[in-house]
Amino acid sequence: MSPSNPRRAAVTGIGVVAPNGTSAETFWKSTVEGVGVLDAVTREGCRHLPLKVAGEVRGFDPSALIEENYLVQTDRFTHFAMAAATLALTDARLDPDGIGSPYSVGVVTAAGSGGGEFGQRELQQLWGQGSRFVGPYQSIAWFYAASTGQISIRSGLKGPCGVVASDEAGGLNALAHAAQVIRRGTDAVVVGATEAPLAPYSVVCQLGYPELSTVADPARAYVPFTDGACGFVPAEGGAMLVLEELDTALHRGADIRATVAGHATTFTGASRWDRSRDGLAQAIRGALDEAGCAPQDVDVVFADALGVPEADRAEALAIADALGPHGRRVPVTAPKTGTGRSYCGAPVLDVAAAVLAMEHGQIPPTPYVHAISHDLDLVTSRARPAELRTALVLSRGLMGSNAALVLRGRTGSAR
Amino acid sequence: MTTQQNTPPTAQVTVEELAALMKKAAGVTVDPAELADRLDAGFDTFGLDSLGLLGIVGQLENRYGRPLPPDAERCKTPGDFLELVNSTLLAGA
Repeated sequence: MSPSNPRRAAVTGIGVVAPNGTSAETFWKSTVEGVGVLDAVTREGCRHLPLKVAGEVRGFDPSALIEENYLVQTDRFTHFAMAAATLALTDARLDPDGIGSPYSVGVVTAAGSGGGEFGQRELQQLWGQGSRFVGPYQSIAWFYAASTGQISIRSGLKGPCGVVASDEAGGLNALAHAAQVIRRGTDAVVVGATEAPLAPYSVVCQLGYPELSTVADPARAYVPFTDGACGFVPAEGGAMLVLEELDTALHRGADIRATVAGHATTFTGASRWDRSRDGLAQAIRGALDEAGCAPQDVDVVFADALGVPEADRAEALAIADALGPHGRRVPVTAPKTGTGRSYCGAPVLDVAAAVLAMEHGQIPPTPYVHAISHDLDLVTSRARPAELRTALVLSRGLMGSNAALVLRGRTGSAR
Repeated sequence: MTTQQNTPPTAQVTVEELAALMKKAAGVTVDPAELADRLDAGFDTFGLDSLGLLGIVGQLENRYGRPLPPDAERCKTPGDFLELVNSTLLAGA
């Protein structure tokens, strides 16, 4: 953050659509209680595929939340995004109709796979009936950028908009991009990521990832940092946040939940998990440097926790490399083991969990994970009370992106 | 799909059919009676965007087994659209 420009990005609203809750409140309750919701894959057309366990968003009725004309032209991943954006704006008490200028609020999302279910349906029309039977909304619905565009149109937000396509770590990079948009003069950005990778075409694409877990027992399918680590379980959903310029938010009386204090990202190549040690450590150092934090300022680490032994080792070593002796003392958690990884949505859910953890003074545990085989103080079994001022969120993608984000909790009285 | 099987002898798209297509192709719910009263109002005032109209054109082309003129997807109002589509269908009957 440049000293000549004091504009800072604050989190003022959280909207969650996740396997363990379709509101920030239920998400936090499940997260802090360490509820694991991994279960058999039941999405249509997926049951016979080798992926047996995933984190599905169940009980989500898009028609109760989103107008039909938007539903018709969008994929499930955008349904999640529009719903989460509305939840975040409501949480922030930021009414799109009440903002001074529509150009003062932008939208930034990250996406890893776009609209696979919608795209598959239209491609089946193409090969089943012919090109004249492909609907025109195919041109926009499958696209990575669809959620940013539809949120912008639906809520009338005409500020700077963008889409970050940088692998799973893109969820954190989108937040950093939004913070930069705010530093450059925009009042607020609706930012985050949601994914819907549980459709037949999308699942088949993921079967090529050597890191994917095809274990059928939900309790054993995704257990990072243990001797039983056997890969990761994918998930649907994600989160959208409202980031606002701190002084503008204070002026309108918004509740300042946290500030985005620092971020850095690096790239070390697809499935080169040994190299992610240096890449992730470098990202942590960069994020702490931007935040003006010393390693010992970090009160909790939300780990990437891929669940691949080599990757877990690299992450544990990266934390030690970047934080020094503090790396062995700082509590580390990975609540995403309870829900699975919703690709770009996963680190944004971690950011939501980190903000809520700081507010409640509770470090949520790492569901399903028990005997740790790395030199980490991993929080397991039940939440750990702690005074949390600074949280470090880590993310890596299968294609080689690494990112670290530093959040500072609100100072002052409790919520 | 052949024209003979699917097209009534005096094929014309009614206001009711257009309302049903707006719902099916674009998720826009509109009461046929209101549509009939507001044939000169812009499609945008009903919440129908250009891709939605393109989808309706595609469905009609598939239904009647024949192309509609390029101007069909550029019509701004339901009245203009029905006039163009129905005159085209009549000319080809």
